[in-house]
Amino acid sequence: MKNPNYPLKKRLASRFLKALEKIKYNMSPSPVSIEEKRRRHRAVRGAAYASMASSVGPRRAWSRALLRKMRERKRARRNPRNADTRFGLNQLCDVVPGGEAMDSRSLLNETAHYIECLVAQVQIMREILHSSSSSSSTTL
Amino acid sequence: MSSRRQRSRQSGASRITDDQIADLVSKLQQLIPEIRSRRSQKASASKVLQETCKYIRNLHQEVDDLSHRLSGLLQSTDADSAQAAIIRSLLM
Repeated sequence: MKNPNYPLKKRLASRFLKALEKIKYNMSPSPVSIEEKRRRHRAVRGAAYASMASSVGPRRAWSRALLRKMRERKRARRNPRNADTRFGLNQLCDVVPGGEAMDSRSLLNETAHYIECLVAQVQIMREILHSSSSSSSTTL
Repeated sequence: MSSRRQRSRQSGASRITDDQIADLVSKLQQLIPEIRSRRSQKASASKVLQETCKYIRNLHQEVDDLSHRLSGLLQSTDADSAQAAIIRSLLM
């Protein structure tokens, strides 16, 4: 009896095995830290879903959704994440929205704009509070 | 087996130099009230970034406090006067 899934399985297997090879090639030699073990685990799991999605392609909604997620992750990795610890740049990541995914130049530009907006927002809120407290109908 | 990951991470085209960072950071300095006035003695980049984080956290806290007060305001006044106040202040 023919297995109707055989071509799919073949595609899956070849993609997944290639991905595993890549992971193995990029592995650092022992000793292996806990963080490294976690990273490997995540890489293998990612490869599993990636092979599924790319084997099925855009034919199904679930595979399209996975492919979309993969593309977003790839874009984020191409722009270096902020591992830049010079001058304490990485501190900004905690306070600027989206900072963790920005390169250092963008982070500094975004920070300046974010501050200007925050300042304006605070001013508006103060003005509203001030103007409504000066109108006599309010009792707080 | 060598690890290739670390080598490729820093070779991205947008790796910014120390000088470029210092330049952008000095622009930030102008926005931080705490250290803006000391323009003659230029604060170190680390100091500016430290103060920037502190400043942003303070601003977040202010937004939080003001939100609290504004929400109380909305509750205790009738809708009309709150709206009038908002419209007035936006037109100022």
